Amino acid sequence: MSRRFVLGEFGEPEACVEAARKLREQGVAGLDAYSPYPLHGIDEALALPRSKVPLVALTGGVLGALGGYAMQWWMNAVNYPINVGNRPPHGFWTNIPITFECGVLLSVLSIFFSSIFGFFQLPRTYHPVFESEQFRTASLDAFWISAETGDDDAAAGIEEKFRSAGARRVHTVTEAE
Amino acid sequence: MAEPLPAVATDPRTELRGLALIQGEQDDGTLNKSLLHYVWQPAQPGWLILVLIGLGGTGLLFSAVTLTVAKGIGMWGNNIPVAWAFGIINFVWWIGIGHAGTLISAILLLFQQKWRTSINRFAEAMTLFAVMQAALFPVLHTGRPWFAIYWLFPYPSLNKIWPQFKSPLMWDVFAVSTYFITSLLFWYLGLIPDLASLRDSSTSRRKRIAYGIFSLGWRGSARHWHHYKIAYLLLAGLATPLVLSVHTIVSWDFAVSILPGWHTTIFPPYFVAGAVFSGFAMVLTLIIPARKFMGLKHVVTIRHLDSMAKVMLTTGLIVAYGYIMEHFAAWYSDNPYEGHVFFFTRPRGPYAWAYYTQMFCNVMVPQIFWLKRARQNIAILWIGSVLVNVGMWFERFNIIVTSLHQDFIPSNWHMYYPTWVDLSLLSGTICFFGLLFLLFLKFVPAVAVSEVKELRHELRVSHESMSELEGAKP
Repeated sequence: MSRRFVLGEFGEPEACVEAARKLREQGVAGLDAYSPYPLHGIDEALALPRSKVPLVALTGGVLGALGGYAMQWWMNAVNYPINVGNRPPHGFWTNIPITFECGVLLSVLSIFFSSIFGFFQLPRTYHPVFESEQFRTASLDAFWISAETGDDDAAAGIEEKFRSAGARRVHTVTEAE
Repeated sequence: MAEPLPAVATDPRTELRGLALIQGEQDDGTLNKSLLHYVWQPAQPGWLILVLIGLGGTGLLFSAVTLTVAKGIGMWGNNIPVAWAFGIINFVWWIGIGHAGTLISAILLLFQQKWRTSINRFAEAMTLFAVMQAALFPVLHTGRPWFAIYWLFPYPSLNKIWPQFKSPLMWDVFAVSTYFITSLLFWYLGLIPDLASLRDSSTSRRKRIAYGIFSLGWRGSARHWHHYKIAYLLLAGLATPLVLSVHTIVSWDFAVSILPGWHTTIFPPYFVAGAVFSGFAMVLTLIIPARKFMGLKHVVTIRHLDSMAKVMLTTGLIVAYGYIMEHFAAWYSDNPYEGHVFFFTRPRGPYAWAYYTQMFCNVMVPQIFWLKRARQNIAILWIGSVLVNVGMWFERFNIIVTSLHQDFIPSNWHMYYPTWVDLSLLSGTICFFGLLFLLFLKFVPAVAVSEVKELRHELRVSHESMSELEGAKP
């Protein structure tokens, strides 16, 4: 059974956020909103859980810094110590710059790749909402809400709810087999 | 040719309403049209001519690189004692230029400066391309780069040895590569929603597929924006200390040595300020013609140029303070070698002309930006910004060449003259940078469209709430 997405278009960001809140309160499941820029208040309207990106960033940063320090210590003090002007092979202060850079690097890499591959589930070549040609305005100048459902009867009911929530265009798309 | 200010700018409440940041009656539709227009219109003759010049210069660059690699570092004018010359001057100059991009995109984002929004994409691209030019030089100046890899990057080679992490040159390798990767990812993350806009406004299937691939299938979902906002902010938060660390480490390449003219504690802050100074100058040099020919005057307004001129003035004053402190420390330390560099070699030696060029361009020229009329005059701004770029190049020339060519033992002294290969590398990187920039302007939106739309919405909301407040007054 292929998935169906009821799509509704709104002209104003505030109207879209308000409609999303109303629809969620009416118990419409599988809601999502689409906009050309982040909408103010949509997180609360859709009751999205707190983002885990900061946790990933912190983990990446700490592991990067620890790894960077350990690398310098092992390479210069353990595996291949060189005596340069009788300086100690393990120099704490001279290890700081690279420790910092490694921390930043790993944090940045984990933020970027966890967002793209993990949180966004991108890259993806197909998503059912793109079945709608009108949906192209979602990245340009309109605001859309979608609701995912399994069967046509339910879709008809949700379409009605979308209209009463103020959507100016409503239609349903079906995922390609 | 002072450009008239928008009429609304005379209203003292303009600051709050932010009307001067985006001119005219705009909505999301008109912004889409005007900001994506340059990508969709056929290539202009002017753009094509510049691309051809850029390609020619890039050819020159690659010829000079080939010659350097094939024949060796002897093709350059370097000698002993001037072992670091054009290679390191150009490296520091280019990487400094890059810093303004990160300052605009990250630091001004954290400070919630709304005027950053229409110039951040532009400045980030500049960062990326400038760092690419910069990275060429340290690699080339090792002479035989294919041997340099094992002592630059910690990989398990058959030699079974590791890099020496106590050297500031190693710190540089890590700082610059981290900086490049961070700038690239930050830039691309910001670009994804705009690439999706291009995909969705494209007229042909071919373009739609091409931009579809690069936008990774972004659909602007609220569930994605939810993470995106935080990821973007965190990247900005990490880029901020990173950019400070990069030029600090670049300055340590010099300051950690014992050479008079290099061995000074003012170097890190003074290098960072100098980097931002030259970077803002480069942004102005590039954006003044770009906003005219690309039709971006409604989003890159006089207000933006004025703010950039103020940053240039401020950082220019910090740089001037750095110069004063260098001379003061030389005098106060009573060290004869320091005194020789600061009171003889630089102002009265054979390279005195470079010293006075530096002082004129970096200390005198920016002072004109105390005047509002100069900050809002396009011609003065552009000429001033070019002079600052020249001055900052000569600052690095003075730091490197004049400090080195007369070191501790007079029998060691030697003049330095660049060869045509040195000059080709410098002009070649300028052309290559220009070429990359022109391609960027043509194929992706030079202004962050989704951020400008968001800004317009914010400004409208605050404007409406202000009108309500005014209406509520008795």
